[in-house]
Amino acid sequence: MADQIDQMRKGTTTMAILKLLVDVGEPLHGYAIIQRLDARGEGYFRFKEGLIYPRLHRMEQDGLLESHWVGEPGTRRRKMYVVTEKGHQQLEVEVQRWQTFSQQMDQLLGLEGA
Amino acid sequence: MSAEPASDPTHDPSPERGGHCKVDRVLEQVRAQLDLDAEMEYELLAELRGHLEDAVAAARARGLDEERALAEVAARFGVEEVGQELQAAHVGWGTADAVVAAGLPVLCALILRWLVFAPDGTAVGWREVLVRPAFWVVALAALLVPLLRFPRWRYALISWAFFWAMSVIFFAWPAVHW
Repeated sequence: MADQIDQMRKGTTTMAILKLLVDVGEPLHGYAIIQRLDARGEGYFRFKEGLIYPRLHRMEQDGLLESHWVGEPGTRRRKMYVVTEKGHQQLEVEVQRWQTFSQQMDQLLGLEGA
Repeated sequence: MSAEPASDPTHDPSPERGGHCKVDRVLEQVRAQLDLDAEMEYELLAELRGHLEDAVAAARARGLDEERALAEVAARFGVEEVGQELQAAHVGWGTADAVVAAGLPVLCALILRWLVFAPDGTAVGWREVLVRPAFWVVALAALLVPLLRFPRWRYALISWAFFWAMSVIFFAWPAVHW
């Protein structure tokens, strides 16, 4: 069961990160993104926290996110992420796709209106 | 990506963070999975350090001692998987660069061969070739284009070495007609 949930989550992690950053409306670093995703999911989705970083970097390579460092040299520095215009467009498409998929699955399983 | 100061992010010498030095052990394990250029590794590890220090501080705030906090954080973090995934996320670009870089040396070596050998297959000789500006243009292009194009200078040097290897092969077998 945990594996099935993990597979479903992996397919939607990019959308979840984009949605969080758009909703928050300000740059966040990786640790803050994990904390907020965990709070939103109320601990239901368990995953290796460090794996958020390869995902963030791939999203940056794909042009969905931009990053910048904050903090003075010699102090703790943070890499902050924000959603790009392409990221906003991608989120719109993915949310639309997810809503359609979710509605169709509910219909398929006879759960609509239940 | 923005540049970071040139020091080792797996080692934090500041005394006020003495309790967090054990984070270095975790970062060393991640680094063991990486084979990227120094600047890229520095940036990745600096980012992970911030995460680990925050997570350890949060665990300590819940009452765990230093060792248990670090053990819990490391387990949640997924040290080995993170190193492998980061390597996979970043090495792909380097490999693509290297593949592209391989084409230029071959092209330049062919141009050089055309400069060295007359159409009838007779060599004009190195002395004559060396005074031709075209020779230096080609040789420098084979070095400068990869240096400007690729973020990893070692690929540019490998590409240049490949160019000379190809050139030597082309010169060594003048009987081969292309």
